[in-house]
Amino acid sequence: MLKIFRYLKPYMLFALLAPLCMVGEVMMDLFQPKLMSIIVDDGVLGQDMDLIISTGIKMLLLLIAGGACGIAASGFSGVASQSFARDLRVDVFEKVMGLSFQQTDKFTTGSLVTRLTTDITAIQQVVDFCMRMLIRDSLMFIGGILMMLTMDLHFGLVLVAALPIEIIVMVSVLRKAGPYFAQVAKRLDDVNSVVQENVTGARVVKAYVREDHETERFTKANVSLMESNLKVANLMASLQPVLSIVMNFSVVAVIFIGGLQAQAAEIQIGEIMAAITYLTRIFFGVMMMSMMFQTVSRAMASVERINEVLGTEPAVVSGTAGFDGKQQGTVSFRNVSFSYPDSAGRPVISGLSLDIGKGENIAVLGATGSGKSSLVNLIPRFYDPTEGEVLVDGVNVRDLSTEELRERIGIVLQKSELFSGTVEDNIKWGDKDAAHEEVVSAAVTAQADEFVSRMPDGYKSIIAEKGASLSGGQKQRLSISRAVLKKPEIIIFDDSTSALDLGTEARLRKGLREKLSGTTLITIAQRIASVKDCDRIAVLDHGRLVGCDTHENLLKTCEVYKDIYDSQVRSTDSAGGEL
Amino acid sequence: MPPSFNPNEKRGPGGPNAGRINAERPKDARNTLKKLIIYIGRSKYLFFGLLGIMITITLLGLAAPLVQQKAIDFIRIDENGVNVDFGGMGKALIVLAVVYVLSSVFTYMQAILSAKLSQSTVRIMRQDLFESLVRLPIKYLDNHNHGDIMSRMTNDVENISTTISQSIGSLISGVLTVIGSLVIMLVYSPLLTLISLSTIFLTVFVSGFLTKYMKKYFVEQQILLGRLNGHVEEMVTGYRTVVAYGKEHDAVEDFRKMSDDLKKTGIKAQIFGGVMGPCMNIISNIGFILIAAFGGWLAIRNVITIGTIQAFILYSKQFSRPINEIANQYANIQTAIAGAERIFDVMEADREEDKGTADFAVEKVRGDILFEDIDFSYVPQKPVLRGLELSVKAGQKIAIVGATGSGKTTVVNLLTRFYPIDSGRITIDGTDICDIPMDKLRSSIAIVLQDTVLFKDTIENNIRYGRADAAPEDIKKAAALANADEFIERLPEGYQTVLSEGGSNLSQGQRQLLSIARAVLADPKILILDEATSSVDTRTEMHIQSAMVSLMKNRTSLIIAHRLSTIRDADVIVVIDGGKVAESGSHESLLAKKGRYYELYRTQFAGSAT
Repeated sequence: MLKIFRYLKPYMLFALLAPLCMVGEVMMDLFQPKLMSIIVDDGVLGQDMDLIISTGIKMLLLLIAGGACGIAASGFSGVASQSFARDLRVDVFEKVMGLSFQQTDKFTTGSLVTRLTTDITAIQQVVDFCMRMLIRDSLMFIGGILMMLTMDLHFGLVLVAALPIEIIVMVSVLRKAGPYFAQVAKRLDDVNSVVQENVTGARVVKAYVREDHETERFTKANVSLMESNLKVANLMASLQPVLSIVMNFSVVAVIFIGGLQAQAAEIQIGEIMAAITYLTRIFFGVMMMSMMFQTVSRAMASVERINEVLGTEPAVVSGTAGFDGKQQGTVSFRNVSFSYPDSAGRPVISGLSLDIGKGENIAVLGATGSGKSSLVNLIPRFYDPTEGEVLVDGVNVRDLSTEELRERIGIVLQKSELFSGTVEDNIKWGDKDAAHEEVVSAAVTAQADEFVSRMPDGYKSIIAEKGASLSGGQKQRLSISRAVLKKPEIIIFDDSTSALDLGTEARLRKGLREKLSGTTLITIAQRIASVKDCDRIAVLDHGRLVGCDTHENLLKTCEVYKDIYDSQVRSTDSAGGEL
Repeated sequence: MPPSFNPNEKRGPGGPNAGRINAERPKDARNTLKKLIIYIGRSKYLFFGLLGIMITITLLGLAAPLVQQKAIDFIRIDENGVNVDFGGMGKALIVLAVVYVLSSVFTYMQAILSAKLSQSTVRIMRQDLFESLVRLPIKYLDNHNHGDIMSRMTNDVENISTTISQSIGSLISGVLTVIGSLVIMLVYSPLLTLISLSTIFLTVFVSGFLTKYMKKYFVEQQILLGRLNGHVEEMVTGYRTVVAYGKEHDAVEDFRKMSDDLKKTGIKAQIFGGVMGPCMNIISNIGFILIAAFGGWLAIRNVITIGTIQAFILYSKQFSRPINEIANQYANIQTAIAGAERIFDVMEADREEDKGTADFAVEKVRGDILFEDIDFSYVPQKPVLRGLELSVKAGQKIAIVGATGSGKTTVVNLLTRFYPIDSGRITIDGTDICDIPMDKLRSSIAIVLQDTVLFKDTIENNIRYGRADAAPEDIKKAAALANADEFIERLPEGYQTVLSEGGSNLSQGQRQLLSIARAVLADPKILILDEATSSVDTRTEMHIQSAMVSLMKNRTSLIIAHRLSTIRDADVIVVIDGGKVAESGSHESLLAKKGRYYELYRTQFAGSAT
């Protein structure tokens, strides 16, 4: 749990100096009421002008010294906590960038983003808080008690009576409030989800004339939210008055005891006033500490989540072998089975063998869930097969350095992912040293040049919000340009032309064949029309290879293929005779 | 201050001063404030009661130090040493105790009432906002960012709630305390008041100066943090591409650089932030010393009494304490008003127009639809439909095809009156749809969209959306007709299975079957299928297809699709091009014609390059 704090080690000096300076500040602070009491008792009451001025100057000097200590403390803790957070952040990010897809799937991307952003910031704040506030408040608390007792031991009675009440009230109210807060959060979620559904589903709500029904649903959620909010508010409303009444009665008691002691000439008036000041600081310290504990316990959840990431060892470990250079652009699956870890062992691919030759143009076809994407994800080692082996250029991918392996493969994903930067920057992901002409030529091949050059800033146009202003087909074509620019031995299209109309797709495929003649092309597709000209089509059904041949032969031999074909182009022959 | 009121916890990475620094300015504060006050004014008695309580608390707060001082004053020092008048002190302490008890009781009441005021105000506000929301035209929702609309309902309303329950209270009691202290101080000694005020000016000046610097670094820190988090978001969500292109090292390097920048700025921001506290502390103590010194000097000259000095020390503290608080709350209130402005924007947006009064019986609809000379544009000067003419006979199945952007979906938007027509008219059984009351018009049409809309509710209730009074047997029957019964029954809780948001615990195909079942249950005479099967694979589509065939029986159906299989069986295929009907006819006759449809067919379905 606490191993995360080893990141603080290099900054130990600062981390220790900060509380040390804090001690200085608190001490100066604690002396102040004492000095004030001297000014009041001996200066004002004794009408001693010189004393007032000399003590005043003393006080100011102390204040300045204390202030300097305080500033130094926040500076030191700033250096320590910010450096700590920076190191932690970079380490966690590096860790995340080394995870396999299996692991990122398990964490989910949303959760990883939260961990890297919100959680780390929360931890940083707590570290900073602990170094300054927690130390400060506990010192104030202890110092305040000591100062009060040095004035008169009888004041201790007040503390003994009042502090336990204060602490018990606070702890019990906060404990009770916990579940209430959780309830509020849940009901707020309910309200939000009704709104969300109505904003995104407005067409259906209107089409079925269900506005009144929705309003009723919302009213219910809204009223329960208000009720829980009021419950929390009413509970919390009692906290402050009770706490302040305990404190204020302590003040009354201090004045009374002070009176008795003054009568006995044990204490002076100014000291009573100082004791009141100390008393309020002690109580304030208690309140702040309880708040701290809340914050710290909340941050502990963040620490746990970060530790979980740091404790994850990458599942895909890079091999060390290089390529032997005997083969180029070949892929072989040898009796490969694969299942996702959380799918209760149900295999996505089972016992599949397939050889793909250099420069071959092969397609993979099958229904949703037949295992097409999973199959190609094994080639660049996005996942490792549970059984069997995958060979690229004749070498088992597990033995290869993943860096070298992925350098030879270009994969265009189902979901086009674009990054902030210009169009050119995005294409250059394929080859960061590429000249502008090469970028353009890759875009021409990918049928992207046509719309890029129509954009106001051409290749220098900025892509914002992951390409929100581009259409699905345009995004796909940019991703394809990226892969083309990379000039790898093998290019995999993972259903990445689904948003292109067939005309564009046909031109794209023609361009690819011309420009990348020696490159092995593996295409996953839904539409038979887009792949019927491929050298071979591998047909998957429930994770098994049920056929791999040319379009014409498959129509004759493969039942599954014929089914898909019929569903897509049934009766076309009679009508158009194109196919 | 009870722990729940700690503003730093909610605000997240902004640090303690983020609230003040990020304050937004409303465009028309006065008008918005007026409207906001009307909302608060709905609980008039509550509000004035609360105001009275707050004034009482402030007065009690001002009285307490006086009484406290009085109690201490019973300890008298004279030539004979210390002499304590315990009788007088006891009385004073009892008064003090009463003041404290009263103040606690009133504080409790204030907390309860202000929670009540803020909660009931924002409940009404949320309710009104939602009611406007469901009556907004589709056009509004299409043209506004959904996240933005959501944030009005959540963040902005939440801001107003905290402002009412906390900021207004602090502001009022802060101002009252300042005024009260000032008055008491002036009564005691105008001369000493002047000295106290001088330190106040110092406070305002120094804190203003420091805030300016702090703001610079805090804003910079926010920007850097935003950039860093953006990088994380981008790299983690695009992780597959990052890995595919071996960009992990570059991503880490960039991240390292950003983290370094953030660290440097963060340290600076923190140092500047740490200066504020000690400076304020020093200034307030300078005030104390000045009052003690100057007061002592005056006391020696018998201008004022020692009690006056003591009271002054107390009140000058009371006086300066709320000043920073007031500035903070003022900024909070401004942010809330800016939020309220956004909320009122939605509430005041034009609602859907419904002026239909025609006598129109939903049960008797035959389903003859006529589009006459329709002009329409989403954006002025960019017409989508230009003089569209289309006639659909009752019971006909008609498929609308065309290139992307040709206006296929627009036809649906117009028939359901999601959007108003620019010119021309649409009639159902001869009645202009603008004359039909909106609810009756829409009750006679059912639509199945490409993006299914399911609610976080049971499957049964999701289907029941089609007809509110349907019995469970009707629902089962509708599901069976839609080929959905089988998979629903296989779920552990059958029809009572609660869907997660958007129905994400079902496959796309299953979700679509549910929306078809909904349409079956609604049983209208007119049916619209808008790309209903385009996001499922072809084998699932066959399954849905057969469900749709039974759905379309005996109805006027408008089918918008880009898949050949969906279109081929229609009675009439209508090709829209250039905002008009380019041609229409059966699949075979249109292919034989070798016109626009033939061209579309070749490029879209057969896949030959043109």
